[in-house]
Amino acid sequence: MVCLQSCHYDFVSQRQPFNPTITIFHQLGGDSCLAQSKMELEDSFYPKAQYIETATGNRVSRGSVLCGSQNIVLSGKVIVLSGVIIRGDLANVRVGRHCVISSKAVIRPPFKKFSKGVAFFPLHIGDQVFIGEGSIVNAAVVGSYVYIGKNCVIGRRCVLKDCCMIADNTVLPPETVVPPFAIYSGSPARHTGDLPEATQDLMTDYTKSCYHHFIRVKDMPPQAREGTTKLIDI
Amino acid sequence: MSSTKQLDPAVCNVKVTSGAVVCFEADYYGDITIGARTVIHPKARIIAEAGPIIIGESNLIEEQAQIINRLPEGTEAGDQLPVMVIGNNNVFEVDSYCQASKVGDNNVLEAKSHVGPGVELTRGCVVGSLCSLVCPQVVQENTVIYGDELHHRTQSEKPAPQGLQLDFLTKILPNYHYLIKPKKKVAA
Repeated sequence: MVCLQSCHYDFVSQRQPFNPTITIFHQLGGDSCLAQSKMELEDSFYPKAQYIETATGNRVSRGSVLCGSQNIVLSGKVIVLSGVIIRGDLANVRVGRHCVISSKAVIRPPFKKFSKGVAFFPLHIGDQVFIGEGSIVNAAVVGSYVYIGKNCVIGRRCVLKDCCMIADNTVLPPETVVPPFAIYSGSPARHTGDLPEATQDLMTDYTKSCYHHFIRVKDMPPQAREGTTKLIDI
Repeated sequence: MSSTKQLDPAVCNVKVTSGAVVCFEADYYGDITIGARTVIHPKARIIAEAGPIIIGESNLIEEQAQIINRLPEGTEAGDQLPVMVIGNNNVFEVDSYCQASKVGDNNVLEAKSHVGPGVELTRGCVVGSLCSLVCPQVVQENTVIYGDELHHRTQSEKPAPQGLQLDFLTKILPNYHYLIKPKKKVAA
């Protein structure tokens, strides 16, 4: 049984926005279809001056570093928090819709040695992917509806299939293939659990509501308030 | 004003040997010497607070890697500045942290590894991802440290050199980043 809980995230004090705690209870009966989620995430504010909003709705922090931005494709409604490094200079990076890339993550295309030299391969990230803080994604392909926890190291040329989950602080050795609906944790990562069949809907709801609750304000309010008075700048 | 950016000489003094590819967008502080064929990615941090750092040849220092020469808290600076010497063919992967007093040749510090002060890496050592070495020690040659429980094992040969990757990076990084140029020798 998977419980998707949302913790209070306080963007004003730069403390871990979008940090849900996913607690996994292994039920002895093996019934994995029940999933509960708290219905509403709290609002998170971002100052207008710090973020660039593109035509397709991507919200990219000015504190992030996008090298080779001509090779980076953000498909729409992607949130890129501050401190993220996306290395588009090494190879093309394509990120799907409604992704959330939390602060200090590093998205880096993997390289492959050939007999004739070395090449960096393009990195494709699917839709509705959540990448936790400080994670290093060196994978070849990340599927859709994937949850990557905080502080993970995804090794070179890993393949993460759709609807999988990588727990916090895991290290995926190079060239690991993570099957769908699997939970991997530990160092080196091992298959430690399964996700419910509703994961696709859960991740879709989660990333979409992250995007909706990421609200632009002109000036940061002195204290984040619970959604009663939101300063929305148009 | 010329469009090329310059490092602030009050903050750092970076001597780049020709052939090295040193991105401007990294954090430098203090006295740093960088050998030939070394590649330093943007957003690396090389902080030579307590004394100079000398980096050898053919090293690969990736983004968010931190190489810090700092006195441990509580000690006072003696007469001699501690010099941190890093050998050749080392790889400092993303978000690795190195405060080792001396790093030999052919070592690999994998992503998010942490090497504390007092540790000395000899040759061919591999410190795995998320592993941290904190107690002062000398790590024997060809040791691999890995896993949650920090297992040690010895491998039979040193890690493969990254020459091909360095060549590739030397070709493409200048297309996307400003580099720190080696200083031309002033003709007498």
